[in-house]
Amino acid sequence: MNPLLRRLRQDLFATPVDGLITVVLLGMIGAAGATFLHWAFSQARWAVIQANSTLFAVGRYPIDQQWRLWLLTALLAAVTGGTWGLLRAHPRPDRGGKLWPRNDRMAALVLVLLSLCLPAALGLPTALLIRWLAIVLLLLLVRWLSGRFSPGWSPRGKRLLPLALPLLYLIGMVLIAGGFGLGAVPPSEWGGLLLTLLEATFAIALCFPLGVLLALGRRSDLPLLRWGSVVYIEFIRGAPLITLLFLGQNMIGFLLPGGLAPERVWRAAWVLTLFAAAYLAEAVRSGLAAVPRGQLEAARSLGMSMPQAFVSVVMPQALRIALPTMVGQFISLLQDTTLLSLIGLMELLGTARTVMANPAFLGRNAEVYFTLAVLFWCCCAALGLGSRALERRLDPAALARSG
Amino acid sequence: MTLSSTSPLSSGADAAEAPMIEARGVQKWYPNGYHALRGCDLQVRRGEVVVIMGPSGSGKSTFIRTFNALEDFQKGSITVDGIPLSNDLRQIDAIRREVGMVFQQFNLFPHLTVLDNLTLAPVLVRRRPRAEVEQQARALLERVGISEQADKYPGQLSGGQQQRVAIARSLCMEPRIMLFDEPTSALDPEMVREVLQVMRALAADGMTMVVVTHEVGFAREVAHRVVLMAEGEVVEEATPATFFTAPSQPRTRQFLDQIL
Repeated sequence: MNPLLRRLRQDLFATPVDGLITVVLLGMIGAAGATFLHWAFSQARWAVIQANSTLFAVGRYPIDQQWRLWLLTALLAAVTGGTWGLLRAHPRPDRGGKLWPRNDRMAALVLVLLSLCLPAALGLPTALLIRWLAIVLLLLLVRWLSGRFSPGWSPRGKRLLPLALPLLYLIGMVLIAGGFGLGAVPPSEWGGLLLTLLEATFAIALCFPLGVLLALGRRSDLPLLRWGSVVYIEFIRGAPLITLLFLGQNMIGFLLPGGLAPERVWRAAWVLTLFAAAYLAEAVRSGLAAVPRGQLEAARSLGMSMPQAFVSVVMPQALRIALPTMVGQFISLLQDTTLLSLIGLMELLGTARTVMANPAFLGRNAEVYFTLAVLFWCCCAALGLGSRALERRLDPAALARSG
Repeated sequence: MTLSSTSPLSSGADAAEAPMIEARGVQKWYPNGYHALRGCDLQVRRGEVVVIMGPSGSGKSTFIRTFNALEDFQKGSITVDGIPLSNDLRQIDAIRREVGMVFQQFNLFPHLTVLDNLTLAPVLVRRRPRAEVEQQARALLERVGISEQADKYPGQLSGGQQQRVAIARSLCMEPRIMLFDEPTSALDPEMVREVLQVMRALAADGMTMVVVTHEVGFAREVAHRVVLMAEGEVVEEATPATFFTAPSQPRTRQFLDQIL
């Protein structure tokens, strides 16, 4: 018998009960798939997405300034490619690791196919088709370069690389908001996926150091610091995000004198940050608790000061343990940005609601929500994949096994 | 019980020299009220190897952990290499730089390679150039017989190898005193020998050592003095020959009957 057939038979039809379950499940999956395909290709009217693709991507960002966003996208693609290569190529060069593991080749293929098909499906002009393809090719080129040459770099140099990320964020902010000779684009004109990602990355980047400090504060010997951290964490975790968002919109205006109150977009970003920091602190605390006491004792007995011991010995282990939980928090943070539509921000969901309110696209809610779900799924999947690659990279045991 | 200055090992020159460790009347209560140390005295001279034995729960680990301030104490005084132990953090750090410690559970840093385990503290704490420390670290690994494992992670080594790395890690700080807290108790029997071998060599080089252990053979051969602790007190102090053949205290005889 054909080995594939034999394997299928073993896995799916080993006993009559197994066979029955397989048949029933296949029937259900088939029915659901057929219904979906029927809807997607004969009932759904995708014109609502095609006509509004720019709105979904960047909101009302001025068209003559959109080259800045293209430049930013290219920059981000290059950085993504570089990170990808660093994390995945040659897990252990001295043990004959591969430049392109099989999953990476698959991912590259999917990316190229997407860049060819998606813009065409959206009915974008040829110029944009070429731009998207170029950006994906740039990503893969940098992936290849960093995978090929990074094993030669010194470990210390590689450890310093993440320090480039804040710089990248500043460059991105200048490109988006203007300054240094670029015309200003006010935050009220940002929207769609651009605003969603901006709010999420701002909150993720800032809640991380805040969360670590809160977790350390909660373990501190200073009673005021400890109780302050506990009260903050428990207060934030006890309140729904939406109430905090409304509170932020209303209260910050009262507390700060007129000119100083940050723009609505930034107020919301700060509330998200302060909210996520409390949850992150708990994740970091569980990581800290999982590092054996002997680690700190060993570091201290070697003469290291408390800060030295924490930075070099305890924190790296605690963060590695807390990484999966932290990425889970980041993913829910990304999804929580949809709540911003309730305080009137035009992020993805807010944009979607204005599109659906347009009489020209009446009754096209399913197409819009489906697109939103796919967009969010892509972002979260990217975060998840990145975190798993990082986890593997940081796990000495996994490094040893990969040989 | 105080240390008799007429110990057969103390020559005239030794007696004149200040002791490396001097503990007087050390008492410790745990926060739950348990009286762990009930007035312990100990003097350790330069180059001396002192083995502390005793039943579990006798306070021997707690006692040597007070020498580098991993445990605090409420009464009495401890002076290490001329520096009195107090709550002054700078003095505690100064003492810890001079005192190496080897733990029962190794406590190697699992996220760093063997070589980085050795070089971390000298580079961070003593601010020595990395290249120089690395050279010294490789030499130390050679000395404890695991030079070929320098780039592996602790999790890839056997227990005996890990404990030898831990000893090398302490030595890389160039300490003047080494404390061993049951260094072989977590090891499989066949790995005990390789660790004791390293400790023997260290003693032969003249390192001042305080060793909490149940290894009678090591105590007989290497120790200059053997101390018995029980119920938080120093019960007996003697040369190995006297300790194992003609102890003066009935408590010591009772303990020896149990382990020999």
